[in-house]
Amino acid sequence: MKLKHSLFTRRQFLNGLLGGWLTALVGSFLYPIIRFVFPPYKEPDKVVLPFSDFKDMASNSVRIFSWGSKPGLLKRNDDGSFQVFVGVCTHLDCNVTYLPEQRKFFCACHDGWYDENGINIGGPPPSPLRRLIVVLEEENLVIKKEGVE
Amino acid sequence: MMRRKLFTLTLLAIVFTFYWVDYGITQEVVPEKQKQETQVEKKTEKIIPSSKNIKEKTGIYVFLGWMWLSIFVLIYILRQKIKEVDRLFLLKFFSSEKK
Amino acid sequence: MRIKNINIGIQAWFDERIGLQSITKFLRGKKVPQHKHSIWYYTGSSILLFFSISVLTGFMLVFYYKPTLEKANESIGRIMTEVPLGWIMRSIHSWSASFMIAFVFVHLISIWLTKAHRKPRELTWMSGVFLLVVSLALGFTGYLLPWDDLSVSATKVGTDIPRSIPVVGCWVTKLLRGGEDVTADTLTRFFGFHVSILPLFILILIGLHVYFIQKQGISIPLGLERKEERVKKLPFWPNFVYREMVVWLLLLGILFTLSIFFPPSLDKAADLMAPAPEGIKPEWYFLFLFQVLKVFPSKVLFINGDTLAIILMLFFGIFFFFLPLIDNRPAEKKGKIITFIAYAFIFFAIVMTVWSLM
Repeated sequence: MKLKHSLFTRRQFLNGLLGGWLTALVGSFLYPIIRFVFPPYKEPDKVVLPFSDFKDMASNSVRIFSWGSKPGLLKRNDDGSFQVFVGVCTHLDCNVTYLPEQRKFFCACHDGWYDENGINIGGPPPSPLRRLIVVLEEENLVIKKEGVE
Repeated sequence: MMRRKLFTLTLLAIVFTFYWVDYGITQEVVPEKQKQETQVEKKTEKIIPSSKNIKEKTGIYVFLGWMWLSIFVLIYILRQKIKEVDRLFLLKFFSSEKK
Repeated sequence: MRIKNINIGIQAWFDERIGLQSITKFLRGKKVPQHKHSIWYYTGSSILLFFSISVLTGFMLVFYYKPTLEKANESIGRIMTEVPLGWIMRSIHSWSASFMIAFVFVHLISIWLTKAHRKPRELTWMSGVFLLVVSLALGFTGYLLPWDDLSVSATKVGTDIPRSIPVVGCWVTKLLRGGEDVTADTLTRFFGFHVSILPLFILILIGLHVYFIQKQGISIPLGLERKEERVKKLPFWPNFVYREMVVWLLLLGILFTLSIFFPPSLDKAADLMAPAPEGIKPEWYFLFLFQVLKVFPSKVLFINGDTLAIILMLFFGIFFFFLPLIDNRPAEKKGKIITFIAYAFIFFAIVMTVWSLM
């Protein structure tokens, strides 16, 4: 199919090619800049803690450990077993604390409440505290993300 | 017209040959560099920059090839624009705007 | 085409409010002379190109650099190993800074030799001298920031030099170092100079420098001035700008290629108590001054050799700054002595630099 008239003039073609290719070149410069400015966030796959530090924990108490750059909350239940949460409020990222007398986790920023299993029960938090898996391997407590071997 | 086409094609061929040949060379250089890096690191704890993996290294070479290709293409287009704009200036195309 | 219409619409919107038309008309009306020496006209915008790249990569680096004694070297190590493509960002920053200073020297020499500093362009020259000083200061302050043995020693030497200036010397050294010695305070101070104070000065000076040039027009070298009406002149926009873009593209290509194949390395953190490492030297643009200080005898008659060297350098600096007032002959005279001094200076700088590397 041959057109009777050109869709655009030679000047428009040249201008378009120049502008378009220049934009593509500048765009290719942007990719490394974006990768540089947003470094990959590395969350640990697992954290290993010596069991000896925690075997004397009282029940209904919580100890803090480092989960990457977030606080991890290791809670000893009444039956002696352990539960681990990522101690970051699901509302706006403040660190939560455990109130043993009330058996609740509390976020002071906006009055958020979680029960002793991390389920959100009051205030703005939209979802429960994130859980991690804890297993006892030899002399160590190994804390893992859910789904990691 | 034919000369220009031939010139551009030769340039492309050179760029791609450079890329493929260099890929071969870097395969040998990479273990050498790493060995040198650990040796030097032990002596003076100097950090010699290099790409971490083959994917990144290849990406950098591809980027360089793309960049030089774009530069030559853009310079070619700019030369055409310069010729056009110079011609218009000589024809005093814009002089009416001064009034 | 629709894009063209949108473009015209946006331009009209701004023009109704801030008078954009007068700027575009000015840019179209501004004329750039074309003659056998016009290639030097590209040096100014090349300096701006490399400065912009240094600023942009500097923004990137300042996201991760930690300007404390304990963390400076380590944070740069992190940039080079952990941050994605960090080593390239640092390499581009380092190379474009060197390119910028190289082009500043080329620009300076070309202005000197074409006598473009003469009336009415004296202020342009003087603001240019300040720009040279600030650019060198940016290089000097940036050199310390990795805080490795070489840069700390080079800074100790460099900040000790002003001490030889009579009367104010000690105060200058104390101001630069933030105390008597090079310490953590020096690093903080240099960081402040490098990312905040000096860039602000350079922006103001560039604004003045470029304004003066627009006001007075681009100069034409001697000899051709007589034929001014017959010298071909191109409009700045779009003819000269397209030519500049060609130059920028080539320079960018060379910069990126060199940055990727020859990136700078990082030595381990400095130990302030350790003896100076062997082979300390400043960045390449200070090598000729460094060599002068090395070869000057320690005593000349009754004057301390260093002091004499510094005084000579200061004297030359002052002559340099007031060059347009010294070389104020009418435009017809060629100013052969001034030209000779320029060539002598180039020769001297190159010889001294090569000597310092041997």
